[in-house]
Amino acid sequence: MWQRFTLSDLRTIGHYLGVLILFMAVALAVPFAVACVFQEWKPAANYLLAVGISLVLGSALRLLRIAPARLTRRQALAVTGLAWIVLAFIAAIPLFMSGHYNRFMDALFEGVSGLTTTGASLTIDLDHLSNADNTWRFMMHLLGGLGLIVVALSLGLFGKRSGASLYNSEGRSDHLVPNVVQTAQFIAKFALFFIIIATAILTVVLSLAGIEPVRAFLHSCWLSVSAFMTSGFTPMSQSVMYYHSFPLEVVLMLLMLAGSVSFTLHAELRRGRVMAFFRDLEVRTMLVWLAVVTCVLAASLSVSLSFNDLPSMLRRGVFMILSSFSTTGFQNITSNQMVGVFSSGAFIMLAVCMAVGGSAGSTAGGLKLLRMGIMAKSIVSTVKEALAPDSARVVVTYYRLGRRRVSPDIVKEAMTVFVLYVSTYTIGALVGIAHGYDAIQAIFESVSMASNGGLTSGIVAPDMPLSLEVFYIFEMWAGRLEFVTLIAIVVELVVSVVPDSLRHRAAARGGDR
Amino acid sequence: MMRKDSARFLTPPQFAAAAAGALAAALAALVLVAVLAMPAFAADENVVNPQQRPDSSFIYDTPLSALGSADTYYDGQTVQVVGEAIGDAVNAEADGSQKWITLSAEEQGVTSSVSVYMTDDQASRIDTFGRYGATGTSLQVRGVFHLVCPDHEGITDIHAEVVSVVDQGSTHADGFDPKAFIPGAIVVLVGLAMMGVFYYLRERQR
Repeated sequence: MWQRFTLSDLRTIGHYLGVLILFMAVALAVPFAVACVFQEWKPAANYLLAVGISLVLGSALRLLRIAPARLTRRQALAVTGLAWIVLAFIAAIPLFMSGHYNRFMDALFEGVSGLTTTGASLTIDLDHLSNADNTWRFMMHLLGGLGLIVVALSLGLFGKRSGASLYNSEGRSDHLVPNVVQTAQFIAKFALFFIIIATAILTVVLSLAGIEPVRAFLHSCWLSVSAFMTSGFTPMSQSVMYYHSFPLEVVLMLLMLAGSVSFTLHAELRRGRVMAFFRDLEVRTMLVWLAVVTCVLAASLSVSLSFNDLPSMLRRGVFMILSSFSTTGFQNITSNQMVGVFSSGAFIMLAVCMAVGGSAGSTAGGLKLLRMGIMAKSIVSTVKEALAPDSARVVVTYYRLGRRRVSPDIVKEAMTVFVLYVSTYTIGALVGIAHGYDAIQAIFESVSMASNGGLTSGIVAPDMPLSLEVFYIFEMWAGRLEFVTLIAIVVELVVSVVPDSLRHRAAARGGDR
Repeated sequence: MMRKDSARFLTPPQFAAAAAGALAAALAALVLVAVLAMPAFAADENVVNPQQRPDSSFIYDTPLSALGSADTYYDGQTVQVVGEAIGDAVNAEADGSQKWITLSAEEQGVTSSVSVYMTDDQASRIDTFGRYGATGTSLQVRGVFHLVCPDHEGITDIHAEVVSVVDQGSTHADGFDPKAFIPGAIVVLVGLAMMGVFYYLRERQR
């Protein structure tokens, strides 16, 4: 029997969404400050208004319930799921006011893309965007990459009582330290450490490349956030290619790789457990997977007319593999080259890399390597059972913070999410094809959106059809929440909206059968 | 009728005199233009060359959007493009005397850009780079287009041969207008007041 939301549930959900919106008001103050520092007065006025709107909306929602009770699991799912779209709506307000978007839906697309760390952009004339707007775009990456709930928990916005249910509902199950709030703080501190170090290195690299020091610092900071959060926004329309810098690309590749490794495994490394890191199923799957896709891409490019020499293959091919595998979406080749010059095999390999994605519990999107590893282990288990005598009991294990058994529950969870991802990739591709786009490009784009990859073959553009844009927004949202949270919300909302008489009639019909 | 015919058909001496006069006038105009333009070009200053834009003698006037979706037909061809220099002059890694300039142009609502590889001297003609609050120098570049450049690990670029300035850049910084902040300030105050109400009510419930 489906449970429906009561008015009390809705008031509690509204209260917590209000808390998150108020937090957004604080986050919006950062680009406001940047605008004031750089004397960008028009963006400054826009961000002040956005701060005000967030304060009013957040406070109004909080007033729905003055003293909220502890969140139930259902309420936590609703708060987490709705937060991504509600906050994207708030984030879109100053972006739309910048005048760099054709319609509000484009700005909302940018907001969802930023928060879900997809990195696909519909900004018009990106190269003339203000520092304040760019700062906001990368703030969205930072908040979304860490996880909106993780950030809120690490700042203690939800208090101590509602933490665990919210934390788990954001698709994170690994607790690095016993306390959820401390785990969230660890993730935030760890990410900031990487970003600060990378910003310092990249500032030197870009300054030596001839870019003004202040600009070099800003671009370094933005690129570091985008790379570690495996997001994909860049401040220039030519993406990473704009900088023509091999050292910069190396630093970004290392950051993308670090970002696509689970925070749990980072914590293991930090504790000096190097062997535990390399014994982990996910790390081993990653190493095998990267070796396979790199070989296939190299083989595919070597028989094509272009990019078949070693320097080109190493610089462009390896970067693009890491960018797609980590679901970052940086490009050091043009979209035209990706679609028209890369062999079709290489092009499809990038889509496959995005579809699989990085580690569970990292900032990367996609199916996740852990699930792929578990499904591979499940196949091994099935083959072993087929070959073993009837009396034998087959046990297959894997290493993840200790030896674990491949249980039917774990396989079921992995298979469910796998099927949901593949279904979404397929439906998205069909929607693209129905809009008249080339089938291969439609598949690529759909995978890119649902995996939060962000690479584009050219379909995602300011002049794309509105209906396709709305579907891609849904794909990004669903992919970031790994479907289960989103489906749970949709079911809850539908059940809550359907009148009692209809539900009872349906139940009675079911009983007759 | 006779007068009309005589006006239309010149006698040979009249024609010779008229032709000589026209030739002398054209030569004088040419010399005058050359003398006026000489100092600027001799010093190789960053000047607007008003003669450049109407020149349609090249067959390679290529929109940047065409290069953005170029196929192998364009590879290795000499092209001529016009675009705004945006961002920065980035030092080339291999050769210190070369720069990477990004040219951008908006055509039918779509912005396209291309990387141009040019000498320091050519890049120095750019007085402003396009970014927020600034419109970059508009350049006309003639050079060889590479869809997959063999010299630069496969990047799509143009190796510039001739670079001329079409339009100078300009800056247009935001002016500070206190009135623009009034709506935001009012909404912020309302929001803060509502927060105050919330905390007041919560304290009362305790």
